[in-house]
This record gives sequence, C-alpha cells and structure tokens, in this order.
Amino acid sequence: MNKSLASLALAGSLATALTTLAAPAASAADAKEKCYGIALKGQNDCAAGPGTTCAGTSKIDYQKNAWKLVPTGTCETMKVPGGMGSLMQGPAPV
Amino acid sequence: MSRDTQDRFAAALLDRESPVPQGLESWTGTAPPRRFAVYRNNVMQGLIGALASRFPATEKIVGRDFFTAMADAYIGKHPPRSPVLLTYGEDFPDFVAGFEPAAGLVYLPDVMRLEAARSRAYHAADAEPLTAATFAAIPTPRLSDLILTPHPSLAILRSAYPAVLIWAMNSGKAEPAPLTAWPAEDALVVRPHMLVEVHRLPPGGAVFLQALADGLTLGCAVEAALGDAPAFDLSQNLAGLIRSGGFISLRLEEPANAC
Repeated sequence: MNKSLASLALAGSLATALTTLAAPAASAADAKEKCYGIALKGQNDCAAGPGTTCAGTSKIDYQKNAWKLVPTGTCETMKVPGGMGSLMQGPAPV
Repeated sequence: MSRDTQDRFAAALLDRESPVPQGLESWTGTAPPRRFAVYRNNVMQGLIGALASRFPATEKIVGRDFFTAMADAYIGKHPPRSPVLLTYGEDFPDFVAGFEPAAGLVYLPDVMRLEAARSRAYHAADAEPLTAATFAAIPTPRLSDLILTPHPSLAILRSAYPAVLIWAMNSGKAEPAPLTAWPAEDALVVRPHMLVEVHRLPPGGAVFLQALADGLTLGCAVEAALGDAPAFDLSQNLAGLIRSGGFISLRLEEPANAC
C-alpha cells in the first residue's frame, strides 16, 4: 500500500476511534484508590507490599495497615468506628 | 544436613509410595513414618491450595475433588522451583492439556492459561497507560510509523474455544448459561490501574495487538491483522486499544518501507 495513503486511512480510523471513546471522565469513574482502616476483619484487599498476596488476612475490623480498593475520592469521606478512612498506611495493630 | 540427605528428603515428600528417608528420627523416638506422613500431607495440601488460589475458575469447572487429584498429579511431576509460590503453576495448563482424565474438557487448558495470565498481570509492575489525548496529538502523516510500548501486565491469548466466556461464567463475571454457540475467542489481559481486566477481542484484534506488543509499527500491525482477518475493523480496534490502557509509551520509527 502507498505510504501516505496508509497513513491517511489510519488517521481516519483513529479519528473515528477517538470520537467513540467516552470522555476522560469515564476513566476517572473506574479509578480506584487504596483506603486504609476501613476493611472489616479478613476482608482487606492487601497491604504487606509488592510481591505478596495478603488479601483477606487482616486480624481486626478497621485495621489501620490493611486497605480496600474504593472509588477515587471517596476514601477520606468514609467514617468508621474510631476514625475515618485514610490514604496513608497506619500502624500495625498491637 | 548434607545435600544428598536434603535431596532424598525432598524426593520422598512428593512420592507417597516412597519410605521415610533414611536416617530420619523423631526426638521422642516414636513413629517417624507417621510423622513424616503428616508433614508430607501438609506440603501437598499447601501446594494444592496454592494452585487452587491461582486457578479458581478451573476448580469451579471440574469440582474440588477432580481439581485436587489433577493438582496432585501435577505437583508430583512439576514440584515448585522457588520458595515463592506466586508464579507456581505456569506450566499447569500444559500439563492438563495432556492429562487423560481431563481430555473431554478441550477448552480447559485455555481457561487455565487465562487464569495464569491474570495472576501474572496482578503481580506485574505498575505503569501509567497512554491517554486518548496522546494519540490525538500524533502528527497524522506519521501514524503508520508509530511504535508502542506494551504495559508490563499485558498478555494476549488465543483460543479455539469460547474460553473467555467460560472463564467469565465461572468467575462471577457472567451469568452461567448453556452455550448455544462455540466460537473461537481471543483475549487481552491487562492491569492498567489497580484491577486486572479481561477483554474479549474482535476479529484480527489478537494479531493486531500482538504485533504492536512485539514492537512492529502501527502500519505493519494493521497489515498483519488484515492478513489474519479480512473483517478487521481498524476504528473499533484502535478504540479498544486506547480504552484498554494496554500501552504506556510511544515513539515514531524512521519511515521504512518493508514490514
């Protein structure tokens, strides 16, 4: 295929593709953040760092160093007994 | 413990028929065979558990008893090579493909490859995907020279069976129902942000994305996709590519003629 013709066809397809994509808000809507201190006992997603699987291992409710994925922007508005959700990892339970 | 003793101990762990390794004693002086059997059972249960947590849909499809027996047979032939079990079972799908009792479930190895790809994607490095705005800013005449870098978590799978739908029905992503059609399905597995995503690919999509992931230019990838599937829809595939977040950076290759 002729080079410039190929690029032209690509440009048309890309333009169509870009218009079919939803506004950037769509990707923000499914964005998640790690929220510490809100998971019930045994229902955390993970916390112990890269290379480990520790989902479901938290020992107490609302453990400060265990997190759960929540929609971006909602974590710090979550009220739990004894405090709020936090984007920062808290201490391990004593 | 000498190397030789360790080797014999490890071999005896995975073979139920083998006797207690020579020289093994218990401090109370009683019944080393029974104690060793308990330890051997714990090791097996641990490894079977590791496989079950990596292949949950597979376990659901064949049932716990069948899965346990299949895992047991696999572990005996392919013991873990690393104390870290995150990637244990990479060749479990290949083993199952040749596992006689599962021969009737022709789609099972592909469902397992999908599950393995999902856990690899889960543990892959984080990277920020390209946005639609970045694509929109590429100078039009140079589009066919575009080269993309795949996300570290990206994997493309091809199946001659509806492996994606069967996986989805057995992992809570789709309502289980009798299959009325039996189409081949290709999948893109990627973790653009925090969650591993599985996308079923349109015709030619697997060849298209694989060519791009292999470092071919966009122009060459389109040619390859059209060669694979004449029904290849470029707009639909480009939209899917951008939406999936499967690529993280781009550059423009010096114009070349041949693919």
